[in-house]
Formats: sequence, C-alpha cells, structure tokens
Amino acid sequence: MPFCVLSMMNKVKCSLSLMVPVLIPSWRFFDEIAPSPRIEFSFLDDSAGEPNWEVFTASVERVSLLQGLKRMFYNGRWNEGLFMVSCAERLMNAPTQHSEDEIYSRLIRNYSHKPHAKYIKFRLVFLYRDEHGDLARYMAYDAKPRAIEGELL
Amino acid sequence: MSFELAVRLSEIALGFLFLLQMGEHLRSASYERLLFIWRGVMAVFLVTGFMLSFVYVSLIMNALFILYRFQGPYNGGSDRMSLLLLCCLAFAHYLPEQYMKEMALGYLALQLILSYFIAGYVKVVNSEWRRGRALQDVFLFSAYPVSEAARRWADKPYLLLVMSWSVMLLELLFPIFVFNAYMLYAALFLTGLFHLANACLFGLNRFFWAWIAAYPILIWFSSQFLGT
Repeated sequence: MPFCVLSMMNKVKCSLSLMVPVLIPSWRFFDEIAPSPRIEFSFLDDSAGEPNWEVFTASVERVSLLQGLKRMFYNGRWNEGLFMVSCAERLMNAPTQHSEDEIYSRLIRNYSHKPHAKYIKFRLVFLYRDEHGDLARYMAYDAKPRAIEGELL
Repeated sequence: MSFELAVRLSEIALGFLFLLQMGEHLRSASYERLLFIWRGVMAVFLVTGFMLSFVYVSLIMNALFILYRFQGPYNGGSDRMSLLLLCCLAFAHYLPEQYMKEMALGYLALQLILSYFIAGYVKVVNSEWRRGRALQDVFLFSAYPVSEAARRWADKPYLLLVMSWSVMLLELLFPIFVFNAYMLYAALFLTGLFHLANACLFGLNRFFWAWIAAYPILIWFSSQFLGT
C-alpha cells in the first residue's frame, strides 16, 4: 500500500481515537489540584548560552469590567495560554514532539518583537503546596534550545 | 419546549460559539486560521439553518481536522462539550425516526446532567475541597486566575469555603432539579452564573457559551421525559 495512503489512514485513525473522549466524556473537573506548570523561556544568542528566564503568562494585574465583558466574546490570547498549559501537562504525562513544537511556535510568535536572538529555550517549572503548606516549585522539563530561523511565525 | 425549538436554539447558540472561536484564531498560524475560518463559515449556515445536511458533515470533518491538529481538544472540557453537542445535533438531524432523534438528544441531556453531578462528586469526596483548601490552591497557584487581583482571592479562606460548598451542592443536586420545571430554570440560572464567574475569574469564556448552548436540549428533555 502506498505510503501516503497509510499515512492518511493513520491520521484518520488518530482523529477518530481523539473523538472517543468527546463522545464519552469523563467530566472530572478539578478532582484534585495538581502541581501547576509555568512555562519559562529565554532567548539566546547561541545554543550554549546562559538562559535569562522569563515566565510566559497571559495574566495581567487587573481586569476591568469592560475588559471582562470583551473577554466573554474574544479571549484568544488567554485561551492560547491555556492550550500551552495543556501542552506542558502533556509533556509530563505523555511527551510528544507535537507538544514541544506547539509551545515553541507559540512562544516565538508571541515574542516575535524581540529581535537579534538566534535561539530560544524553554523549561517547565511546577508550583505546588508542600507538606508544610507553603508554596514550592520544582523544575520538571528542560527543552533543548531551538534555532528561531525557519520557525513558522 | 418543543423538540424543533430546542434543536434550533441550540444550533444558533453553537453556531455563535463557533463564530467566536473563529475570531479568536484569526491571528493564528495559517493552517490553524484556515481550519477555524472553515468552522466559522459553516457556523453562519448553522445559525441560519441553511443547508444543514451538508453543514453537519462539514463541521464534523472540520472537528476531526482540528482534533488532529491539536492532538486533542484545544480548550479541554469546553471544546468537548461543544463537539458533543455538535455530534448529538448531527445525529438528531440525520437519524430517520423521531424516537432515534430523541435518543440522540436524550444522550446529550444525560451527559449535561452528568457533567455537573460527576464534577460535584469528585470534589466532595476530596477532603481538600471540603475544607475549602482546593479552591484556595486554584486561586493561589493554578494557571487559571486571569489577573493578580483575582489571585489575591486565595487570602479569603472563609469566602472560598462558602464558595466551594455552594459549587459542590449545586453540582451534586443538579440531577434532582431537572424533575421540576421551576427548579430547573432556577438551577440553570445559577449554573449560568457559575459559568459566568468562571469566565470572569479564570478566563474560561468558552465554557460559558458551550454549556449555555446545550441548555435548550435539557429543558426539552425535562419536559418531554420527566413530565415537568
């Protein structure tokens, strides 16, 4: 069987398998408050450079009533941030190249105004409440640096 | 509420949600944008009720492409609910016999009831939720709060304890409310407020529209099968 047909069949099979949880959902929202990922990223001049970490966030200091109303109808950046959080969780539970690619391409697109850097790197830091009830963090994933040139912006 | 009216209201609401989704993806990368423009164009037909036999096939194909593109739902539960609604409406459209159509929408209504009940059950069996600590953690360190001002709600433990129990009781008791028309309308008003609060505090705007879009089906189901 030609490779393209096999590839197409695999895609159809994959899409249908992703449809199963849609038709038989679990609805276990917030059953536990698991450690929460933060995506930290850094632009680098060379792949071995020392990272200067920034936290990716779509959050702001305050949301006014008008902004809140607008966000009911248009909340693209925030929803993209939630998708990136999903990708971060997937990287811990069932790592795939897709999840890493998604985080990289969205970081580059969101920070494309930062010129000069040739590489970008991200890591995942998880926040959780420790046994003493204090807020704690651990680094759980350290992605390899990626050249920015050629990335789809 | 009649079967036809419930279906039409849900189609309009779902189409509206898909149009909002298209708007949010207009600045995305080209292939992603194309997928959501496809969804948005079909949503216009869904809202107007024009060429529905073609529209449902097209929207389900589109959903499969989008699921493959993101390797799952883009925004978790809210996308699952909107796709479940789409599938059930499509089944109701294509199935030949009226009782089959009603079974498709009945399944959706049951899932809607379960969405609240299961969400309430998994919380109430967790001592962290019963103590209000879980909601405090949601505000304190989860990725959800939309602003630093919202994050400071973590410093109000008694308020969060009351909020936790209010949400758990509403979700757990929801299946009982569907047996009485007045209680159902009151419950849907409260759950609508709950989704609105989630949208304001956690930015989950798609949840609000996805669940609201399914409410007409539940109102029809309640009046048709539960005698309200």
